[in-house]
Amino acid sequence: MKYIKTLTHYFEVTFACIRMAILTIVEYPSSIAGWLLSNPLQFIVGFATIQFVVQEFGEINGWSYGQLAFLYGLSVISHALSMIFFIQGWFMGYYVLEGEFDRYLTRPLGVLYQFFFTQINIFGITDLLPGIVVFLYGCHKVGFAWSLQNILCILALLIGATLIRGGIYILIGTTSFFTRSANDFGQYTQEIFDKTTMYPLSMYPESLQFLLTYLIPIGWVSFYPVSSMLGVDNGLTGFPGAIGLTFVIGIAVIVVAGIFFNYGLKKYESAGN
Amino acid sequence: MIEIKHLSKEYHVVKKEEGFKGALKSLVTRESRVIAAVQDLNFHIKPGEIVGFIGPNGAGKSTTIKMMSGILTPTFGEILIAGKDITKHRKEVVQNIGVVFGQRSQLNWDLRLGESFELLRHIYQIDKKQYEETLDVLDEILGVRELIDKPVRQMSLGQRVKGDLVAAMLHSPKVLFLDEPTIGLDVGSKYALRKFVKEINEKRGTTVILTTHDLGDIEQLCDRIIIINHGKLVEDGNLDAIVDRIAPFKTLVVEYFDDQIIPSALGELIETNGNIAKYKFLKHETTAAKIIEELSAKAQIKDISIEEAGIDDIIRIAYTGDCRTQNTYGIHW
Amino acid sequence: MKQKNGNVYFYVYKTQILKSLAYKFDVYGNIIMQTIIMIATAFFWKALFRNATMVKGVTVDTMMTYTVISSMLSVVLTTGVERRITDSVQKGTIAIDMMRPVNLFKVFFAENLGTVTALFFQNLLPIFLIGSLFIKLPTPSGLPELLLFLLSLLLAFFINWYLSVIFGMWAFSIIQMDALIQVKKHLIRLLSGSMIPLWFFPEWLRSILECLPFAYIYQMPLTIYVGQYTKESLVRGLLVQTIWVVVLFTIFRFMEKRVTDKVMIQGG
Repeated sequence: MKYIKTLTHYFEVTFACIRMAILTIVEYPSSIAGWLLSNPLQFIVGFATIQFVVQEFGEINGWSYGQLAFLYGLSVISHALSMIFFIQGWFMGYYVLEGEFDRYLTRPLGVLYQFFFTQINIFGITDLLPGIVVFLYGCHKVGFAWSLQNILCILALLIGATLIRGGIYILIGTTSFFTRSANDFGQYTQEIFDKTTMYPLSMYPESLQFLLTYLIPIGWVSFYPVSSMLGVDNGLTGFPGAIGLTFVIGIAVIVVAGIFFNYGLKKYESAGN
Repeated sequence: MIEIKHLSKEYHVVKKEEGFKGALKSLVTRESRVIAAVQDLNFHIKPGEIVGFIGPNGAGKSTTIKMMSGILTPTFGEILIAGKDITKHRKEVVQNIGVVFGQRSQLNWDLRLGESFELLRHIYQIDKKQYEETLDVLDEILGVRELIDKPVRQMSLGQRVKGDLVAAMLHSPKVLFLDEPTIGLDVGSKYALRKFVKEINEKRGTTVILTTHDLGDIEQLCDRIIIINHGKLVEDGNLDAIVDRIAPFKTLVVEYFDDQIIPSALGELIETNGNIAKYKFLKHETTAAKIIEELSAKAQIKDISIEEAGIDDIIRIAYTGDCRTQNTYGIHW
Repeated sequence: MKQKNGNVYFYVYKTQILKSLAYKFDVYGNIIMQTIIMIATAFFWKALFRNATMVKGVTVDTMMTYTVISSMLSVVLTTGVERRITDSVQKGTIAIDMMRPVNLFKVFFAENLGTVTALFFQNLLPIFLIGSLFIKLPTPSGLPELLLFLLSLLLAFFINWYLSVIFGMWAFSIIQMDALIQVKKHLIRLLSGSMIPLWFFPEWLRSILECLPFAYIYQMPLTIYVGQYTKESLVRGLLVQTIWVVVLFTIFRFMEKRVTDKVMIQGG
């Protein structure tokens, strides 16, 4: 009973936060227009360069153009979702240095929850659009069947992938508690994610594949689930049920990240800013 | 309401070395040392008190208030708020406290003030009816309803402080912490803030803890002051009583008819300016009348006035060192 | 007076080096991240060249050198000047900053040089070593190429710098600058040849990109370094690069004057 009450409390606050985020758009129409120009441009041009490469070199590691579009589109969608909910992780160093966690500590809710949800980045939806466009294009090219099962698979994949991304942002951001510096690795993080989730992971050497499968679970963001869904070569030994695994790994990563964050927060509580 | 027992806080500080060599060296190694920011504080604050924490920068008052509001965990000791240990039951205890950090706002910059309140209403689970009632009470004191539809980014600093004060009081906390609340405010806003603190204290019985460097805040608000220096509690009590104890002197200002200034055997001549001289004397040893009598026997006096030791003396004494050892600050007999 | 101001900029330069050196973790973190990106790019090309020895006259060896040098260039070509300008506008300190008796943009430039100098030792050398060990020793195709490369790099540095300042100065007319700065960053990332050389782009797009300044930040010096040019394209390329430096400098001066006037009139 107590847990249900807590849960409803969190749901209500989340709802209020989303409402505020939407109001922000209304407040800044010119800003959303700016991002609507910037973010789709980035991904559409990025996707176009893949096409140029495919034109010159033929397939990329056995992946056809349509399959690449499918992979790329899904990757951009989970990227966009992670931008909406978890982008603050990129700026954690700033929050640590400026003592911005003080406020969250004086409120009766989880600190990590407040950190992300009281400032949902609604502008992240401008990343969502190009992702959906490229993904639908890929679906069309590979002849994706829109069955209920497939749709559920896509949803599970996206939730898992978003949580993996978010978890990694938290893990990287939490290091600021120990280093006490405001450097943000956001740009690098995104570049690494782009390189490893928008192309087939199997084109990289096995050592790197191993690293990105077992140690840093980036392979699960798009490569394993998509290759199993499309039935293409998937590098390391075939993983059965890769989509379910993505979902489970996503939850595992976010839990581990949460534990690490709380450990870092202990440090903040004992040292201040 | 608040019970502080053996409260101590230690920090590990990284040594920084200077110059290129130091910067390069610190890439490889870092040394740290332990400093005690707060040492063995003990005090008790009763419901409805307004307590001012004063002390120089780095004395430990910010650390103390941060520990009391649940932001920092103590190295040793206990903090009980309404009987509950804040370190152990943080989420529960913070329902009972409101915090305003001067110059740092919890309001959403982009949206109208009401939206920030709405979010807080959900965070603290205040039902609509009670929210409206509380807002009515606070509006009477501060006049905040007229600001509710204004985007926070368009507000003046004074208006934003009003917004922040109301935001901290929406959930009707029993204790309100104010960290340097009047810093950077104009006279009107300072007045409004002090009036607010006084009135919520009187009307709602809110206990208020504040740190400040502003003498006006202390004089007009605090029943009780706690002076902290070098991490230790050096004075705790009623303002007048502390003045009496650590600055037990008055200053007699004498204006002579001519430039001839005479020393006194009873008071110390501390300043002369033309035909004006200042004599400092201990209240319990002599009186102004005796000094005047002594002086007027030797020279013609045109005018006199008496300056009381006040809060600025207290601050000066407290900030320049441990005041217990400086009971007779500046007075050498 | 002139001498004195010169000292101010040198002082800014020196302190910025110290500032950049101060954060141990950032340094290691940056090197690790940049190394991962470089190695991933190298294997990207290796995988593509698995079934072809030469595409568009380019071999896999050339692409390895290209990748290592491009990673090293990205260290030298970092600039935070847009951020500095927008920060100072948003905090409202721009007026005070500009009224100081030193030229604000020269201060920014000195800061930038300081950062780059620190990064040269902290990041560029490690990346060079790791790249040489794990990918390929990035030898230039000859001594004249190396010298021409350095010349072209110098021009590229200025193009990059002026572009950044110009985009940063738009903050005066547009409140929400972040999106525009991102646009510029993406354009450079994708269209400058820093990741994928323009050789692999379709002909029509290439001829458009060769008129824009972006290709002259990465593609031009890199093309010279790996010797992928004809005499004619070299002369034309360096010429266009120089023209872009002049054009951007002119735009910069024009905007600087406008911005200064605006600040002086409005007080920021």
